[in-house]
Amino acid sequence: MTNKAALLDDETMSLADYLSRGGRLTSPDNVPPRYRGELLRLMSSFVDSELAGSAGFADAINWAPGLKERIAASRITLEKVDHAERVLDLMSDFGTDKALYNKAHSWSARLPRDTHVDPKRQGGDMRLSVFHYPLQNWTDAVVMNLLMGLATVHQLQEQCLTSYQPLGEVFRQILPREKRHMELALEGLERLAGDEATAAEARASVDYWMPRVAETFGPAQSARFERLHQLGLRHTDNETLRTAWKADAEARLAGLGLA
Amino acid sequence: MARFHSLEVTDIRRDTRDAVVVTLKPSDADRDAFDFTQGQYLTFRRDFDGEELRRSYSICAGKDEGCLKVGIKRVEGGAFSTWANEALKVGDRLEAMTPMGRFFTELDASKAKNYLGFAGGSGITPVLSIIKTVLAREPKSTFTLIYANRQTSSIMFREELEDLKNLYLGRFSLIHILETESQEIELFTGRIDPEKMEMLFRLWIDAEEVDTAFICGPEPMMLTIADSLRKHGLSDDQIRFELFASSQPGRARTRAVSASAAAGAGTCEVSVTLDGTTRSFTMEKDGTAVLDAAIANAMDAPYACKAGVCSTCRAKVIEGEVEMEVNHALEDYEVRAGYVLSCQCIPVSDKVVISYDE
Repeated sequence: MTNKAALLDDETMSLADYLSRGGRLTSPDNVPPRYRGELLRLMSSFVDSELAGSAGFADAINWAPGLKERIAASRITLEKVDHAERVLDLMSDFGTDKALYNKAHSWSARLPRDTHVDPKRQGGDMRLSVFHYPLQNWTDAVVMNLLMGLATVHQLQEQCLTSYQPLGEVFRQILPREKRHMELALEGLERLAGDEATAAEARASVDYWMPRVAETFGPAQSARFERLHQLGLRHTDNETLRTAWKADAEARLAGLGLA
Repeated sequence: MARFHSLEVTDIRRDTRDAVVVTLKPSDADRDAFDFTQGQYLTFRRDFDGEELRRSYSICAGKDEGCLKVGIKRVEGGAFSTWANEALKVGDRLEAMTPMGRFFTELDASKAKNYLGFAGGSGITPVLSIIKTVLAREPKSTFTLIYANRQTSSIMFREELEDLKNLYLGRFSLIHILETESQEIELFTGRIDPEKMEMLFRLWIDAEEVDTAFICGPEPMMLTIADSLRKHGLSDDQIRFELFASSQPGRARTRAVSASAAAGAGTCEVSVTLDGTTRSFTMEKDGTAVLDAAIANAMDAPYACKAGVCSTCRAKVIEGEVEMEVNHALEDYEVRAGYVLSCQCIPVSDKVVISYDE
């Protein structure tokens, strides 16, 4: 890092051009104000979702029907906090107080299951709306974890291309582990689908979670997407991502006879 | 929160006509805090006529040199770099934050990797630190540096790079590209453009063998190189950019933001600028934060924690007085420059103008 000690003084370009051509920003020092705001908003939405997701999933450890499942649930609960911390460390570079951030909200708080949470909801923490809904039991936790885990994989694949290089690096480390969480859910659901009673329970959970996870992709027409796209912070629009996720999820559920 | 430490200047060496290399020594108590990673930078602060300036410069020393060195190239009109080049002396003290930055990869002595570096002008500083550290700590790895400059006299660290070439014969190769000087091989004259990159790949670099590429230089040059690297099969996680700092606060203007008087009753005319658009509205002075009022007026202002912790909602007060109830995220100098956390920001005066764009 140096300060504009550029080699070729006449070779300057606007930041908008640089970003639109796939340029990367590398530290808080070269991030302009509006980029900073959008980047931090994006990072805190991820952090809050991971913290809330982990806090909500902690109950599943004690619902687990066997040791293998208990280990899987513990691992998911642990690693989601670790993922939150990795991104929170990047936010700390911008001034975020990491210790206080953890205490700022109740990550395990949930709303009643039949409430409708506006996905655009503003206020409190920045978790995705789906993490405001409570889990009911083991089957419900497995289904939610599969559907949301799959959504996370689709969303992170896109986010790995982010123009903020340190975040792209962290997401590339996180992606395979989030993918593993989704696969653990898939393995769990395979076992549940084999039994008629739990299969029926799983189908009901799929009906409950499908639309709620779909909402996390955001509105089809989004001014914010356009803005983030110009900054290189987003690349694939909400509807395209949602469609790809839905097809993927339906194919996997069909494979288990749960579609 | 970031904190500044005092470092002693133990050596200043002139490297080119307009660049110096400054060696710094932390106090014994701070020594561990300044144990940097190759490719990181230091942020300095200094008062110029009562106004604080902050500037970041990359560390150019390798991990095994046992010292802390930065390269500072004089920029036309740059207060800090001119002062460092002309007035800074051995024995002076500089205020710096501990090393920051992520322009590096993990090293492993048992690995045999091939690194490729591209540096433009003073962009060499962090790359030099990486080269020296990689060659010393990964004895089976190689490094190829493509280094662009205007002319021979402006090449920073020219002798040091030649020495490295001799010291690590066969493991470090160096290609100078000079914009305005013709060289024996025509390929090495001119600017780095897509055609030149193609030629380099055809004649000098085997893209398939490259594990990681580091790029530091002017933006257009970095884009050209990154495009070409991607075209030759390198993935995003193999390409590491380091960008010049460009949006640092210039001259920090001092202004009183916090008011001693508590928010009085009545209303406040608020004007908020976001993405180039300014919207004005009237809000009650009833303890409502400016951020909440802006959101209530359908503005998509950035925020996250709403607890004064994360700094997502940072904005600048252009006119008027506000009181910030809680601040765990902004530093004193940001507050002095007029920045506030808009989620914690209660109007005091009858008119307040704030901007998220500055």
